[in-house]
Amino acid sequence: MSELRFDDVSVRYGSRRRAMTAVDRVSLTVPDGAVVGLVGESGSGKSTLARAAVGLTPLSGGRILLDGEPIRHGSGPRPVQMVFQDPYSSLDPRMTIGESIAEAVPRGTGSADRRREVSRLLELVELDPARAGAHPGQLSGGQRQRVALARALAARPAVVVADEITSALDVSIQGTVLNLVRRLQRELGTSMLFISHNLAVVRYVASEIAVMYLGRIVEHGPAEQVLADPQHPYTRDLLAAVPDSAHARSARSAADPTPAAVAAAEPADPHAPPPGCRYHPRCPVGPLVHPEREVCRTTEPTADHRHATACHFAPAPEPLAGRTT
Amino acid sequence: MTTAPVPPTAVDQPAAAPTRRSAARARWLAVLRTPVGAGAGLLLAVVLLLAVFGPVFWSDAADTVDTTAAMQGASGEHWVGTDALGRDLFARVLVATRLSIGLALLATLIAVVLGLLLGTAPLLLGRRAGRLVTAAVDIAVAFPGLLLALFFAVVFGVGATGAVLAIGFAGAPSFARLSHTLAAGIADRDFVAAARIAGVGRVRVLLRHVLPNIGEPLVVNATIGAGGALLAFAGLSFLGLGVQAPSYDWGRLLQDGLSGIYIHPEAALAPGVAIVVAGLAFNLFGEAVAKGIGLTATVNGAYPVPGRSRADTVPAAVTDDGTPATDPGPAADRPVLDVQDLSVTFPGPGGLVRPVRGVSFRIGRGEAVGVVGESGSGKSLTALAVARLVEQPGEVTADRLEFQGTDLLTGSERSHRRLLGTSFAMVFQDPMTSFNPTRRIGRQLAEVAQEHQGMNRRQALDRAVDRLRSVRVPAAERRAHQYPHEFSGGMRQRAMIGMGLMGEPTLIVADEPTTALDVTVQRQVLDLLAAVRAADGVALLLISHDVAVVGQVCDRVLVMYAGRVVEDLPAAELDTGARHPYTRALVAAVPDMDVDLDAPLPVIPGRPVDPAHQPPGCAYAPRCPLASARCTAEDPALADDGTGWRVACWHAGEVADLAVPGAAPVAVSLGERA
Repeated sequence: MSELRFDDVSVRYGSRRRAMTAVDRVSLTVPDGAVVGLVGESGSGKSTLARAAVGLTPLSGGRILLDGEPIRHGSGPRPVQMVFQDPYSSLDPRMTIGESIAEAVPRGTGSADRRREVSRLLELVELDPARAGAHPGQLSGGQRQRVALARALAARPAVVVADEITSALDVSIQGTVLNLVRRLQRELGTSMLFISHNLAVVRYVASEIAVMYLGRIVEHGPAEQVLADPQHPYTRDLLAAVPDSAHARSARSAADPTPAAVAAAEPADPHAPPPGCRYHPRCPVGPLVHPEREVCRTTEPTADHRHATACHFAPAPEPLAGRTT
Repeated sequence: MTTAPVPPTAVDQPAAAPTRRSAARARWLAVLRTPVGAGAGLLLAVVLLLAVFGPVFWSDAADTVDTTAAMQGASGEHWVGTDALGRDLFARVLVATRLSIGLALLATLIAVVLGLLLGTAPLLLGRRAGRLVTAAVDIAVAFPGLLLALFFAVVFGVGATGAVLAIGFAGAPSFARLSHTLAAGIADRDFVAAARIAGVGRVRVLLRHVLPNIGEPLVVNATIGAGGALLAFAGLSFLGLGVQAPSYDWGRLLQDGLSGIYIHPEAALAPGVAIVVAGLAFNLFGEAVAKGIGLTATVNGAYPVPGRSRADTVPAAVTDDGTPATDPGPAADRPVLDVQDLSVTFPGPGGLVRPVRGVSFRIGRGEAVGVVGESGSGKSLTALAVARLVEQPGEVTADRLEFQGTDLLTGSERSHRRLLGTSFAMVFQDPMTSFNPTRRIGRQLAEVAQEHQGMNRRQALDRAVDRLRSVRVPAAERRAHQYPHEFSGGMRQRAMIGMGLMGEPTLIVADEPTTALDVTVQRQVLDLLAAVRAADGVALLLISHDVAVVGQVCDRVLVMYAGRVVEDLPAAELDTGARHPYTRALVAAVPDMDVDLDAPLPVIPGRPVDPAHQPPGCAYAPRCPLASARCTAEDPALADDGTGWRVACWHAGEVADLAVPGAAPVAVSLGERA
């Protein structure tokens, strides 16, 4: 059993005066054997949350628990492993891929066992074990990303954090990596935090989806529910932005004309998050469009809905009955 | 209906690249092949040989006291004369090589080791202690090296040992700074983070990951540093702070010779020349290596993509000197851009490489054409070639390259620049690097109008604000006075498009304009491009790796593979009607919100063709489910079906055997979407 729980986690960067809260009191649970997809735009804090989970970024508040216990980052491989976005910088160009993977194999393994383990892992990620002596420069992006996966698995992790692992790859290769992630996750039952800005990708891999905006989780629930019945306007915005065929697109824009004020709104500055609900300067159901909804400017919504949604005016069951404050 | 798992061998064709180690060796050898590198290397070898063997051969001559021949000038017997004790000076200079070079190398060694320790200490010590070390090094770097050397020379006492320590310590801060900068760059890389997560300790991270990756520049700098140490040492000895009699090095000889410089200058000149030659040997060799490594790094990497700067995007008023040369048709029917058989060639390590091979297409007035393909398919280079932004050593050839009827292949470069500058706009992927960070956005836009339209400052700025408003930058007046860093990525991209609209462009070329943006912002920028096109009748050439993005905005799509257009089809047909198997596979590979969650995602097996190794037949054949013997032998031409739909495939439109991976899901999704 390995359940990763973020408990009221905050991460602040910088000194007191120019401090920036990248992650603000986030609570999120990755259940045992589940894949939680984390979506959001750049600057939403999703990568910071990932780095905090593996101990690369110190917390400024809250706790991260693995099976109820705080994670110890002692010697030896860490129980939470990470696969990075850019396969071109996540492998040491001077080490063979076999050496890179072997490095993460727990210590106290004999060198013969280590070699056997590397071969097994390479096979697991559908690479020829005979290529353990190759350098990353000889591999394509997709192959490198598979090596990175093998390295993460070498540490026998309880949880794997995958941070935008397909966004640096060509579309044609993206599929092979996603298929592999899904297969491995099913075979090994690893718990996983899967971060991506692409909802279509997250939908394919994750059983739960959490949506992050400016350091806060604004919606969280089972994948099919969040996608079929998004409660938070930001989630709806993200869904609408997924490129699909031209026909669906024109139909959508005809049915749902975006108010000009909303269309022109800029993403907020994480250094100066707006008061109240953080989405209100861009929100199509907020005070920009409905001036009477002042509550959005002043009060931060809490998340309690059919599936957790941090919005004063989530649509269900009736437009205004969803007010929580 | 599921695809069979792709066997590893099909996906992992071994790359034909040499191993990293032999590549490094080849680079060092390449350095020795350049004239400067060869000369410096030879010189260095001679100096080092002399250092080793000089005393063996000439020690006797150098130490033979012959008072009868004291203080002689140059002669056949003594090439540069003799000293006060009648010892042969030429022999002494040669013998002194060992001590001079040896001490200089020793001092360099001290400097490098100490510098490495200080420079990498911040990695080992953690944040606070590391900052202290860095600050101390920064202060030490601020002192002139010779001053430090003199200071240490006084501290350690006069003599060779003192001088070695002095020069070593004096050289350490700059090495510390260098290795700290290099190490910090490596330590930020993901693979170091990955090693830390894998439980690798700090010392091991330093030894295994950081040091090997900063070794090359450090060695180069140590070589140059050795030249400096040699000079510094000669200086100290000359001042009497270095080597003491009866030992002698070049500095010592120089000092001895200086007393009699008016009687016979050779005695001072010979050691002086030796110092200069040895110093040059070290410095030149270091520089040659540094240059060689830098140069080969770009040749081995991606193609040099020049002109990704805002200076090349300047459009302004349309000039009228572009009268049609070959196409007499009326202006309205004339394509904005007409490209026939365009090729781009680069010299590669193994002969010429052609990343773009015979591309032909036309863009009509107000038409939006998309170009899709994997990375390396030549799509961006095609755009750069059209914009005449491919620089040396790249070479662009074409049967026809006409923009608004003007032949861009003949005529003066200057008038082309002007034409392109006035009615052609380019939007690049990274809006961060497209603007000059030190100037206000409004002024940067205004500059264009001032330059090309002869507007004055005030008018130009008004036009800039107006253009910013037209690309929906909110509060345009205020934002025009802001700097690029105050704009978000999406806003910067809008401003970039606004800059393209400062003139009256007839064509906007947008190279991956939304790849660096978030999905929500991406939609806004694409909508903007569509709106600009609709409002002003501007043609659009949109380059993207994302079929979905291109399908949203464009009328027509060019699919590129291995430097060729393999299909040219209406965008509306992308989802269901594509005839080329590559187009279909590319469309199928994009996961959308309807993709079947129980089936594996369709993939394109194999990897793109290396432009240096084009197969004789269809370049896509090795990855194609429809490939037959003819495909691997003969390259299909891009054939027009009469309606303007062009496809280059021997099996165009055929449906693949469902058992073949990559093809089956296409058929499935066809059925689902139809």
